[in-house]
Amino acid sequence: MTAYDYWSITRGALATISLSLVSILLGVPLGLALALIRWARVPVLSRLVYGYVSVVRSCPTVTLTLLVYFALPQLGLSLEPTGAAILALTVSTSAFNCEIWRSALVEFPRDQYDAARAFAMSRWVRLKLIVFPQIWRASLPALVNEMTLQIKSTPAVAVIGIVDITRAALRVGANTYQPLPPFIFALLLYGVIVFALLRVQRALERRQRVSGAMA
Amino acid sequence: MSSLISRALGQPRRTSNRPQRAGVRRTAALAVLTLAATFGVYATASAQTADAIKARGSMTVATEDDFKPFEFVDNGVPTGYDTEMLALVKKKLGINITQQIMPWSGILPGVTTGKYDMAVTAVLVTPERKAVFDFTSPLAQSTTFYAVKKGSSITSADDLVGKVVGVQTGSAMLADLKAFDEAMKKKTGKGLKQIVEYQSYPEIYQDLALGRVDAVANTQINLNSLIQTRPDTFVIGKPIGNPVYIAWAVKKGNPGALALVDGALTDLRKSGEMYALQKKWLGASFESMPQSIN
Amino acid sequence: MSDFLIIWGQRDVVLAGLLNTVILLVIAAVASIVLGAVLAALLMSKHKAVAKGAALYVDAMRCSPFLLFVYLIYFGLPTLGISLSNWVSGAIALILYNTAYMAELMRGAWLELPATMIESGKAFGFRGVSLLRYIILPPVLLRAMPLISSQLIQIVKDSAFLTVIAVSELTHEMTSIQATYFIPFAAFVTAVALYWGICLTIEAANGMLDKYAEQRRS
Repeated sequence: MTAYDYWSITRGALATISLSLVSILLGVPLGLALALIRWARVPVLSRLVYGYVSVVRSCPTVTLTLLVYFALPQLGLSLEPTGAAILALTVSTSAFNCEIWRSALVEFPRDQYDAARAFAMSRWVRLKLIVFPQIWRASLPALVNEMTLQIKSTPAVAVIGIVDITRAALRVGANTYQPLPPFIFALLLYGVIVFALLRVQRALERRQRVSGAMA
Repeated sequence: MSSLISRALGQPRRTSNRPQRAGVRRTAALAVLTLAATFGVYATASAQTADAIKARGSMTVATEDDFKPFEFVDNGVPTGYDTEMLALVKKKLGINITQQIMPWSGILPGVTTGKYDMAVTAVLVTPERKAVFDFTSPLAQSTTFYAVKKGSSITSADDLVGKVVGVQTGSAMLADLKAFDEAMKKKTGKGLKQIVEYQSYPEIYQDLALGRVDAVANTQINLNSLIQTRPDTFVIGKPIGNPVYIAWAVKKGNPGALALVDGALTDLRKSGEMYALQKKWLGASFESMPQSIN
Repeated sequence: MSDFLIIWGQRDVVLAGLLNTVILLVIAAVASIVLGAVLAALLMSKHKAVAKGAALYVDAMRCSPFLLFVYLIYFGLPTLGISLSNWVSGAIALILYNTAYMAELMRGAWLELPATMIESGKAFGFRGVSLLRYIILPPVLLRAMPLISSQLIQIVKDSAFLTVIAVSELTHEMTSIQATYFIPFAAFVTAVALYWGICLTIEAANGMLDKYAEQRRS
């Protein structure tokens, strides 16, 4: 493997990291919005969200990516590969995040919420000051777990031509007819990224435990 | 904290008389806006007439990512016969052409849905495709051949009976291979053992070298390019299809883009630049091809 | 609408793909649950070396993306002399990958088992394999059932990755149809609907097993 091969796989890592980052940053709040819709039992939307989450959670990332990139143009929504990848990954992770947020919301003690209403807090203040900090703490491990799963499902976007770590490694292997070195290098890169994410999770948990002890 | 306490102690609730449903409606509206905002996607314009394209000053085309020697990516830069022809056409027309590199299986469907104005890639002209697409002036001519690993027992097309052949999904070579299989079954009663469909050719060549498939079906031009790079591993066989033209494709009913590009291609033929590129990339020049094949 | 008619015309191809997906699911599910139980026992082993080795395997699987793992088995193993067909490579990749996840799930359920149950089992003379088979595994499996069914859904979704090594499962057949007939929307919407159907079936089966577990628990 030449130096250029290592560089091309590392460049794929940039694609992987940026795609994962954007879809996580979009998907986590989106999941929260969906979970809130179901928690508030909004009449029609709630059922739609239920259906959406059920379908998206059972859809393979590869198929979803192919659908977004090849099928949506028939409906008039045509995207560049990067845009399609972000959309597909965001849709996918938002459905899983919705369930994570929802399980925390369901376990949220109703009496705290009623007490907040008794204190004449507006809905937005209730959510921001009372509900959110606690469900954030409860959901964090599951959310980070979902983030690592998200990173591991980014190779799906290789089928629409985006050169992420996996596709870059595959190209190098196909050109040199020696696939093992690039794949092992790719595994190392993924390991580093996932490890970094787990470190961030540990740090966040430690900060929460400290602040929790103070309160 | 203090605002909460002061609220609890004295001031009347502003929200006390607001009906519950309005609050719910507001949350719903907020949620929908959040959904819309976080998507933030855009739609590209669909294919249009020649004047519209000239007015816009740009065209979007799609090219395959790994189909040597017609188009491939070398050290991060798209190159190959079609890509260099496109550069010449771009210079002649003076409009901006955006080239999207992507897997083959999305290119023709992308043209039919209007995502791309033209497929600037090696599209073999078949009767089925002529029903859906209009083709530019042809850029090359080729026949579907098979290739095998060096030392294989397959020496003629008839030896392919009972063998596993790899081919690209959704390609004309696949259609040729299927037709060849049918003809073989009629002639000898037995056909190929299996046709395996791959996304692109590099993986098929790798599997051929590993012995997972017994042969690969591709155009003669592509296979010659393969033999040139790896003469110690592969050997080209015999034709299993009929000669077809290779051209760029637009959706039927889009004469604007077609006329524009055809004009440029005719000029390039007259100036001899097309034949020079053919010799460079394809190993031969095709000077007796018709101007129009629609 | 005519697009969907084309798909209906190709329904034998679609059904073949669907069948392949289901077969892969069943084989991978059975194998990974059985092997996962064995691996879970190794994870909980008293011998540190065994437990550490098993934990290393589980962590390696959890850190690597499934597609890369598939490529490793399909393109990487031949350089070591082991060349497997695409279907076998896909099945083995699914099994090896999900065994690790199943083992981790079962370990979580195992840790929740009351110590008294295991101790009374030991007091009754159950040892080793019979302890595992009669005392530990049944409650572990029942307790982990919801998580196991989620993992089964994950297996279904991972099977779609096998399209890149040309396994004729559902996504692969749909890609072929849409590339030949230029009907991407109908093709992929049908694929999504069929995947949804498979997952709903898994969830229904999970619901039934849940009821059985409830009965057993009371």
